[in-house]
Amino acid sequence: MKGTTIGQPMMIRAKHLVKDYVLQEKKGLFWQRRKKTIHAVSDITLEIPKGKIIGVLGINGAGKTTTIRMLASLITPTSGTLTMDGVDGVKNHLWVKEHINVISGGERNLYWRLTARENLRYFGNLYGISKKALNERIAHLLRIVGLENAQDIPVERFSKGMKQRLQIARGLINDPEYIFLDEPTLGLDIMIAKEIRELIAKLAKEREKGLLLTTHYIAEAEELCDYIYVLDKGKIIARGTKEELKELFTYRPQLSISTDLKEKQSILEELKESFCDRITIEIGQNTVIHVTGDSQDWSKVLNVLFERQVKIYNLSIHEPNLEEVLMEIISQSREEQHEKNPVSNEGRDCKTAAE
Amino acid sequence: MRVVWSTYKKIRIGILRAVPWSFMVSRVTTGVVQIVFPYFIYIYFMKGNLNSQFSQYTDGADYMTYIVLGAALNVLAVSTLMNIGRALITELREGTLEMLLLAPASRNLYFLGCLLEQTTRAMLEFGTVLLVGAFLGADLRYLLTLRALAAILLAVFGFFCMGIFLSGIMLYTRDTYITQNTLFITMSLICGITYPNQYLPEWVQLFAQIFPLTPAVTLFRNIMIGRQYMGDNFQLILQVLLLSGMYLLAGLWWNKRLERRLIESIFG
Repeated sequence: MKGTTIGQPMMIRAKHLVKDYVLQEKKGLFWQRRKKTIHAVSDITLEIPKGKIIGVLGINGAGKTTTIRMLASLITPTSGTLTMDGVDGVKNHLWVKEHINVISGGERNLYWRLTARENLRYFGNLYGISKKALNERIAHLLRIVGLENAQDIPVERFSKGMKQRLQIARGLINDPEYIFLDEPTLGLDIMIAKEIRELIAKLAKEREKGLLLTTHYIAEAEELCDYIYVLDKGKIIARGTKEELKELFTYRPQLSISTDLKEKQSILEELKESFCDRITIEIGQNTVIHVTGDSQDWSKVLNVLFERQVKIYNLSIHEPNLEEVLMEIISQSREEQHEKNPVSNEGRDCKTAAE
Repeated sequence: MRVVWSTYKKIRIGILRAVPWSFMVSRVTTGVVQIVFPYFIYIYFMKGNLNSQFSQYTDGADYMTYIVLGAALNVLAVSTLMNIGRALITELREGTLEMLLLAPASRNLYFLGCLLEQTTRAMLEFGTVLLVGAFLGADLRYLLTLRALAAILLAVFGFFCMGIFLSGIMLYTRDTYITQNTLFITMSLICGITYPNQYLPEWVQLFAQIFPLTPAVTLFRNIMIGRQYMGDNFQLILQVLLLSGMYLLAGLWWNKRLERRLIESIFG
């Protein structure tokens, strides 16, 4: 009996997952073999609760796909524990496979010579779904992904967007409780990507699925994810909600005030003295004052300008987006690591918004 | 059973959509050439004469019946080994292996589905070779007996088990052409398909015993030409079963390890 353990939280919980690959390199005239260990993932701890979308962000080679494969029981972790609804996921990998599915971006993972319906039927049969239930589910999924009219066309004649929608239907064929989405909107045009994002949001919010999303599109993570893990070189280097991540790296919003201060040097000097570390002044056709900090700082600067009767042409607020935050996190992590150990390529310790 | 049946349908639909008839024609032609070519040599070059050794090695079999039975079973062996052997590497090349491994379905049932599909197709080739052989003078009057059917089924089982092991070799080397073609040529040369392998050096004869085709083709001929029963060939049956068991166990164990390694090394 591998049912869920009573009292256990309904989530996937990975603790200190490590995955090392041992590669054999053939070198020299007689192809001498040399073993080389690659640390693909080091000490990953994360949770995927039901009804939530968890983002895993990172640049290429960060360890995102390896993490998904471990969570999906496709590869065995070198060490660490993995539980799904309280059940040991490493020992009971067949049980895990019945309750999860993976949706990848790109055009693989489908039989191109089969039709959409035939693909879904084949994968449904691999999950042992009864004929009646499978027929109903196929009809339902084709309707959800909008492929009802193309269900009997071989996949090789599908557009990229249609293939991706079919991938989503395939990923839902076993009605999984947890879904791993690996770059699900890769290479799709804006409209189709938007449709797919809406579908992903519905899966979590309306159908209570636990989703893990990896993506290169930061806007996608910003729009969808409830909680985000940032990976670099196989390690989690930061985690939190998108707001927490923005807080974490003191990357504050900035107010830009376009003024006629060019001729009024004394006011500029006064501002520099009073708000030295919070303002930068850009002198061009108009003089633009950039004020970082919170709204109180901004109103102090504005009050000075009003008192001096400075003419304001324009006001704009720049909020850092997640992409800027992610780049900041990764570069800070690498700088710190380089300072700590100039020779090593390893990542650094995890920063947590909650800490 | 649904995994077996759906795998059968998946492969069959894929083949019919990709190469509706040309694939079948090419394989049937290959089978027919395998008997027509020695037939021409026998009739026009050797003028129907064989030396006494042939008669001694084959218990007085006539040459056409001898080669037709060998070629027919060889066709069955080649198609079974080829289709079972390359099933997983084809999934890998088409980009569907990861999703197949992700599903909780048994790999053995998947392979049985592949076997069912390929056997129904290979039987057509097998039948064509026998039909053309009968036309060229082969004596096949014992073909429609239970013992002949049992010998064919036993042979297919042996080829299937060896195919599972071959699948491991193909996944390991990531090669299909050299692996399968080298094997098939070697088998057709040393397993006694078109001539008794007693003509070959003793060490080659010994080496030929590692292929299930060698005892299977001898068994098939003993039943079809020698009019023997399955019970008269206990040693040959045991040899096929032992070889099958060894290939099956080694193949399943190896494939399981290779599948995980493939996911790690190719997609990772």
